[in-house]
Amino acid sequence: MTAVRVLAAALVAASLPMQSGGGSSRLRGRVPDEALPAVDSIVASAAAAGLPTEPLIEKALEGAAKKAPPDRIVSAVGAGAERLRAAYALVARGTAPNASVSLSEVEAVAAALARGLDTELANHLAAALPGEPPGPALHAVADLVGHGFSADSSVDLIVAAVQSGLRGMRLLDAAASAILELQRGQTHAAALATVRRQLPDVPPPPRPTPVNVSHARRLPG
Amino acid sequence: MRSLDPKTHRVLDEGGNPAALTLEEQRQVQRLQAAARLLAAAAVPSVAARVMAALRQPRPSPARRVARWFTEAHAVTLEVRPIWSLALAAVLAVIAVFPAHGPGPALSTQEGVVQFVGRFPSAHSVDVVGSFTDWRPGVVRLRDDDHDGTWDGSVVLPVGHHEYMFVVDGEQWVTDPLAGRYVADGFGRQNALLIVRPAAAAGSGSQ
Repeated sequence: MTAVRVLAAALVAASLPMQSGGGSSRLRGRVPDEALPAVDSIVASAAAAGLPTEPLIEKALEGAAKKAPPDRIVSAVGAGAERLRAAYALVARGTAPNASVSLSEVEAVAAALARGLDTELANHLAAALPGEPPGPALHAVADLVGHGFSADSSVDLIVAAVQSGLRGMRLLDAAASAILELQRGQTHAAALATVRRQLPDVPPPPRPTPVNVSHARRLPG
Repeated sequence: MRSLDPKTHRVLDEGGNPAALTLEEQRQVQRLQAAARLLAAAAVPSVAARVMAALRQPRPSPARRVARWFTEAHAVTLEVRPIWSLALAAVLAVIAVFPAHGPGPALSTQEGVVQFVGRFPSAHSVDVVGSFTDWRPGVVRLRDDDHDGTWDGSVVLPVGHHEYMFVVDGEQWVTDPLAGRYVADGFGRQNALLIVRPAAAAGSGSQ
């Protein structure tokens, strides 16, 4: 039993540098040296708060790839950390007291907030859908808002879709159906009304064929 | 070849007294006598005798014959007409150039297929660079095999959210105009946003 404890302690000790400084090794040599300490600090404080750090590391790498100046990289990473904090709070409110907060859900909500969704609107939608992971619903609303639907009518459609039995990623299909009606020439109001009548039978996207999968497995490049 | 001394010859052929020989000659006589004895003992049988001896041996068991067949060397003669050689070469070339598009490995529940299409008539290369490539170019390169200016490619990506941009000719960052979902990148441009859905979910779609 002692040996097991020693092994467990060793594993925990080995994992600590990966959590706090794992990003550094990926950033070093790609991100400008001037930006590294600030980015490292943001990543470390995000990790300490239990936030996912991968989006922050990716944002720093993106800035470096796009040859952004160091201060711009630090600013973008900092803004990403703020969105992750807001997303964490939103997801945590809908999570049972004894359950752990889903970090993938936090990333999904943060991505929705990055699309320009208002935090207040996001909180309103999450409160209207208790027990539902908010990520897909928020992205469905963001899809609609991105195509000129008003925020309120978009939230109403997605809440109606959940009440009709649609769940998770299928909520994106409700938004896609409304956007399709718009592209067919309907007004925004008529498009929403059409989809409401269809709920929950909105068409899913086509499944990839085996040939599609086979082609896609051979990574171009 | 050295010739024998007549006295040694006499001792060997006629049984003369070896004491009449010098010590060296006596040793030579002894060596020659020993060699004669060895030759007499190891008489080489004739071919006929060897064949008859082999015929008299018991027939080996079928298992032993099979084992011997597998372990012994065999001479193999392959006669191929040139026309068949050419046909075989053609078939192998077709297989190499057009590999079978069988069902291929299926998608896991944590993967989806994404297709990228972009119209860049004057481009020499178009890369898709995003969070799924660690923002490195050259990992996902689109193709324009018919040179009509439409570049495309598809990849399998893990379920979740992915941001990307096209990189044209290795330096020009371009937002995908067909993506439908966009997010400000924090550096003054807009990334396209992909939402890859699980294969097991209805539709298994992407984008």
